[in-house]
Amino acid sequence: MDNFMFYVIASCVCVSAVLAVTQRDVFHCALWLAMTLLSVAGIYFYLDASFLGVVQILVYVGGIITLFVFAIKLTAHIGDRAIEQINRQWPLSALVSMLLLSICWRIFATHPWANICLNTASVSMAQLGRSLMANYAVPFEFMSVILLAAMVGAIVIGKDKR
Amino acid sequence: MIPLGYFTFLSAFLFCTGVYGALTRRNVIGILISIELILNAVNINLVAFNKYLGTPDSLGQVFALFVIAIAAAASVVGLVLIISIYRNAKTLFTDGIHLMKE
Repeated sequence: MDNFMFYVIASCVCVSAVLAVTQRDVFHCALWLAMTLLSVAGIYFYLDASFLGVVQILVYVGGIITLFVFAIKLTAHIGDRAIEQINRQWPLSALVSMLLLSICWRIFATHPWANICLNTASVSMAQLGRSLMANYAVPFEFMSVILLAAMVGAIVIGKDKR
Repeated sequence: MIPLGYFTFLSAFLFCTGVYGALTRRNVIGILISIELILNAVNINLVAFNKYLGTPDSLGQVFALFVIAIAAAASVVGLVLIISIYRNAKTLFTDGIHLMKE
């Protein structure tokens, strides 16, 4: 039953990711991206990383997808169905990504850690918070500076000059 | 329990899908969507390795949180740049944006 859940979530991730990069309408792409991100949150829940799953849903599906939808709607006619959305290099690109995937497959199939089935104790949210605020406090504070810089930069770039 | 290799393969699949999208989409928004897929592939790897081979301070999950925050900042700036490009060049197709060549 446990394994079955993994296969269901993983196939959701794969199918919606492929649709997110191949759909013609950019708006549909954004919706399939939302589906992919939700399925990845499911993977996090499966891996006992429940805090990360909640953050994934809040930040990605709640925030970033909304931004994408705004950007798509503000540039409405670009995503029109009549315009070709895929460039002429797509067979070569498909070949390259297939090759990359098969190399990864070869490495994963032969490497010793690929068969590890350890069931370690899950990380509690309190433990995660403690390590975030104690061991990794400096990168955590640095992250807030980056977010502030991104916010200010976005306002400056987005401001209408006229 | 699922072996670790399955998660890494899932993440590799997501990564390769993102690479394909970033190489083929003509629309800049489509390229950003593909980059989000790539960042999520990295996160799956971090969380899976943290679960199977993790340290007591759960470095993998902390790093995944940082990646999510960076991705949010990156997509905010990217989308504002897209709006700005659209305002100036009236197009969002990568073959139509050549401000640096003129």
